[in-house]
Amino acid sequence: MKTVPARWANLAHWIDAMGEAIGRDDESALRAAIARFDEARNGPLLGEIRRVATDLKGALDRFSLDSRLTQLAEREVPDARHRLAHVLKLTDDAAHRTMDLVELCFPLAEETSSSAQKLVAVPRAARSGRAARARTREVNAFLSLAAGNMAQVRNSLSEVLLTQGYQDISGQIIRGVMNLVEELEIALGELMRLASGVAGQPGEEQDEGRNLQGNGHGPAVPGVQAHAAAVSGQQDVDALLAALGM
Amino acid sequence: MSKDMNILVVDDFSTMRRIIKNLLHDLGYAKVSEADDGNTALPMLKGGGFDFLISDWNMPGMSGLELLKQVRADDKLKKMPVLMLTAEAKREQIVEAAQAGVSGYVIKPFTAVTLKEKIDKILATRAAG
Repeated sequence: MKTVPARWANLAHWIDAMGEAIGRDDESALRAAIARFDEARNGPLLGEIRRVATDLKGALDRFSLDSRLTQLAEREVPDARHRLAHVLKLTDDAAHRTMDLVELCFPLAEETSSSAQKLVAVPRAARSGRAARARTREVNAFLSLAAGNMAQVRNSLSEVLLTQGYQDISGQIIRGVMNLVEELEIALGELMRLASGVAGQPGEEQDEGRNLQGNGHGPAVPGVQAHAAAVSGQQDVDALLAALGM
Repeated sequence: MSKDMNILVVDDFSTMRRIIKNLLHDLGYAKVSEADDGNTALPMLKGGGFDFLISDWNMPGMSGLELLKQVRADDKLKKMPVLMLTAEAKREQIVEAAQAGVSGYVIKPFTAVTLKEKIDKILATRAAG
């Protein structure tokens, strides 16, 4: 037998064994020798892979046991979304209820106001005596006052109506937060799947400019950096449009 | 036209549509229709009969800006007055809307006076042109 350097001795041994098996036409011995040869050749690499895999599994197990994250992803984030959705519904209902009432008041105020104004003119016929004239003056004064007051009520109702615009603004902001929370939930879910060893498909590329496809940025929120380039009010808009020749 | 004109109000929030509709009624405009986004509004506009468009910007489906572009690209609709009534307040957006051919721009929250002013201004400009 040839002498081989010590570090190849193991491999050389199985090569010899293969040669002998072939010489004997012994298929099972050949297969066994090839298997042992493979093992001898790849053993250190496989061992290393096994070690890394075990470490990784340990790390992932510890990660998936992080109950705070699990709780966040599975309960609190969906909860927060539901709460916001509920707020959206409540404010929406409240706004509609208020507007129903305002719309009921409009014709009442209008009818009272216009009837009172008509009555201011009518009592001319009753001006026969001193008392009647005094009475007429009182009634006239009252009716003028009523007409004026009701006109104010009407204006106030109009203001109440306009004030309900908060629902649109707050609703848009809440929807923005809901989208954010939903994204967070998806990201966390992806992370959890990864940790439990079943790496899913890579998440869809989040397009940072997903709102730029013709859709807007939402209402300007004071103190939010992303809204720094917003105009400060209608006067700013008018000035900007005037500068553009409009 | 003026007080008799048919106005289409486009906004995804039904509360805002009602507010605008009531304010318009208060200003004497009785013929007001509603749509909740550009996809709903465009076929209504193409169906004819509308004289004035008031639209929000940020809506699911077709945005107000896209609706404006579609209106300006349509031979029958391109001259229609379009008033943008929106919470979108970035300078670049206002410039973008102006370049797309918006007739007026009101930001939310708005007042009844502002709404009236802008409608009157648009109508006066059209009457003069």
